[in-house]
Amino acid sequence: MIQVEHLSKKFGELVVLKDITIEIRTGEVIAIIGPSGTGKSTFLRCLNLLDQPSGGSITIDGVNILDAKTDVPKIRQKMNMVFQSFNLFSHLSVLENLTLSPIKLLGMSKKAAEVKALELLKLVGLAEKACNYPDELSGGQKQRVAIARCLAMDPEIILFDEPTSALDPTMVSEVLSVIRRLARDGMTMAIVTHEMDFARDVANRVLYMDEGLIYEEGTPQQIFENPQKEKTRAFINRVRSFNYQIRSPDYDLYAMNAEIEIFCEKQILPKKTRYNLLLLVEELLLICNPRLSTEILDLTIAYSEKKETLEVVFESSGDALDPFDKNLQPDELGLNIIKNLANNMEYQRVNNKNRVTLMMKKTS
Amino acid sequence: MRSHIISALLMILLITVFLSGCGKNEKVITSFDDAKQAKIGVMTGTTGETIAARRFPKAEVKSFDDIMDAVAAMKSGQLDAIVTSYPLAIQVSKKNQELSRLPEPLDNEDTAVAIKKGNYELLAAVNRIITELKSDGTLVSMKSRWFKEDLSPYQEPEILLPKAGKVLTIGVSATREPFSFVDKDGRVTGHDGELARIIGLKLKRPVEFSNMKFMALIPALQSGKVDLIVTGMTATDERKKKIDFTQPYFANAQVMLVKKARGGKSASGTTNSPSLTSSLVNSFRSNIIQEKRYLLLWDGLKTTVAISILATIFGTLLGSLICFLRMSANSFLNIPAKIYIAILRGTPVLVFLMLIFYVVFASVNISPVLVAVIAFGMNFAAYSAEIFRTGIEGVDKGQTEAGIAMGFSKIKTFIHIVLPQTVRRILPVYKGEFISLVKMTSIVGYIAVQDLTKASDIIRSRTFDAFFPLVMVAILYFLISWVLMQSLEYLEWRTDPKSKRRKVASA
Repeated sequence: MIQVEHLSKKFGELVVLKDITIEIRTGEVIAIIGPSGTGKSTFLRCLNLLDQPSGGSITIDGVNILDAKTDVPKIRQKMNMVFQSFNLFSHLSVLENLTLSPIKLLGMSKKAAEVKALELLKLVGLAEKACNYPDELSGGQKQRVAIARCLAMDPEIILFDEPTSALDPTMVSEVLSVIRRLARDGMTMAIVTHEMDFARDVANRVLYMDEGLIYEEGTPQQIFENPQKEKTRAFINRVRSFNYQIRSPDYDLYAMNAEIEIFCEKQILPKKTRYNLLLLVEELLLICNPRLSTEILDLTIAYSEKKETLEVVFESSGDALDPFDKNLQPDELGLNIIKNLANNMEYQRVNNKNRVTLMMKKTS
Repeated sequence: MRSHIISALLMILLITVFLSGCGKNEKVITSFDDAKQAKIGVMTGTTGETIAARRFPKAEVKSFDDIMDAVAAMKSGQLDAIVTSYPLAIQVSKKNQELSRLPEPLDNEDTAVAIKKGNYELLAAVNRIITELKSDGTLVSMKSRWFKEDLSPYQEPEILLPKAGKVLTIGVSATREPFSFVDKDGRVTGHDGELARIIGLKLKRPVEFSNMKFMALIPALQSGKVDLIVTGMTATDERKKKIDFTQPYFANAQVMLVKKARGGKSASGTTNSPSLTSSLVNSFRSNIIQEKRYLLLWDGLKTTVAISILATIFGTLLGSLICFLRMSANSFLNIPAKIYIAILRGTPVLVFLMLIFYVVFASVNISPVLVAVIAFGMNFAAYSAEIFRTGIEGVDKGQTEAGIAMGFSKIKTFIHIVLPQTVRRILPVYKGEFISLVKMTSIVGYIAVQDLTKASDIIRSRTFDAFFPLVMVAILYFLISWVLMQSLEYLEWRTDPKSKRRKVASA
């Protein structure tokens, strides 16, 4: 139905979309996920030319819409859009919001348009609000009206641009269930969303976008359970990480601790976990201390919100050396403390580097 | 609502009555020596102005546009004396018992007909006519009929002017009884009115009068808006540089008008002052009923309303165009629009109005009402363009995007989605701008349009009553604004989408 080839978009110097090639088939529900600022919305807005692409081609039912001769408004009638900020026409009642375009664009009679509009309002559960004005509705109701407004034009595809991002958490589900229902009825949809669980169960296909590209693409199972690429994995598991580099034995312990604390606060980790983490890092550094004069040590702390795990990784150059080798330690006190705080202690030799990975124990 | 209006009007009335009673400090002048340090009123652009400055260098000389303004100022104690021409002075003292003139004239000046420079043929013809009138005694008879000390009605012979032929346009400032003034039928008459008709008769041309502010007369003559000025104008050397004068038809003395001493001969007039109600009734009779002056006011009112509404319509259309240009991304379009807005908003309307009339349309025969509509419309356009722009820019970009995404073209999106929201948004500001336009039109008297303000000027020039006509005109302006405001408020109500539902609910 829609073929996109080598699509690119620049805003001045800023390259938002680099090279996007994808095909959307009739009946598909495509979820587009990815971090903010990676061009998901821009991609959607390029599809109906709200943003003019800088390069590439978009073909809809065999018609190249970037051709100057193409009647773009006509094509847009077949691919309506639901916005993050609803954009209901504030001077019109809910019913008039639904009937305006069928009357003006499709030449439908007022009566027929109203009958149809009321049917659609019933579908989204808002028939009793037909005479109200947008400013009298809640966010969730507004978005449902916006969806009904799209349906009034009998579109072949609906583009959803973060339909629930501007909503109160309590209103998200009413909107999502309307979209779910459309999916069941076989409507073709492209949905930019941050609702992972929703994306997972409504979509046939998931696009993970990053760096202006479709970074990884697959079925919901592939993307959510077994992502192949590093960034996808980090995003799916909602991993946030913290890096610190230690270059000399006389590093500033307190500065580092302060930064770790700030990181922990941002992830809303309990006080006890924070304390244990600081202790663990300090003990590890004590063990590694003899080698700090010659080697650079990279500390990474990664927290996965989804799995609720805290991973600590030490990486250092230099000769292969396992810090957990009991023979190298003056006493076993430090090692015991570490064992107490962490499980899954691993030593690996990767790319000529020593890598130590520890998983913090959960504090109850 | 109605009681609000009535109480507002009462407030205005009371405040004015109170204020008019203030500021009376008496200084009685009986000779020119007394006037050395006095406050002297003169008419802008008249010889009285130069004479007063020359003869009384230490006095405080204040310029007024019209004699009745100066008389009103003197009555309220702001002036001690007025320098004006002899015929005007007898007229004023005739109608104002408390004023008199000093017997000795300040200066004698020649009053003549003014003609645009270079128009020698007409100059010679008018000169010939004046010589004729002098020798056959017509001028003497006119003088005795118009410049008289009693209040008996004027005797004016009927002059049958030709209906066809090239129209002779006479510039007058018809607030100068008995030289030139507007009579009960709304026609310009007086000594100079009669003279102008005689000139027209002898030239076999129909006569039309163009009644404007005195200071606007010379520009009007220079730009060809009028053929002759016949309105008691003195042939000064300064004026002779700009325009030509015929031989004098009247030796005009400049005299000083002063207040009579209290408790003296005229004490009877001041001791038993009439009650407020009876003086209001008297004022009403003399200012409104006498000579059917309400007709004058009615015509003025119609003119004011017509100019206001037409200028608003023209200004709104032009303003939309300017707004469109201003919002264009193309700098060939938006820079001229920006310049237009900056110039029109930065120029006083009066100056702009006179520029349009006396410079731009100088050689075009165009109705002054139309000029007023154009000038006020252009001014209104500058303001409304900016109002529209803020209104349009104030509509959320998402509304346009939603329209476009639905498949509306840009123009249809604007018409169906942006415009209805803009109208509702801008109406409150637009209303204010409209009301100020209505009031702004009060300056059209400068280009010889007889509007409401001009009508009150004419009445005041006859009755020398400042209070009543001014308060009445203020009330009339208020009523016009109020009625027009109501219609816009109705529009505001109509464009509020929720009104529809309220209507359904209340039905």
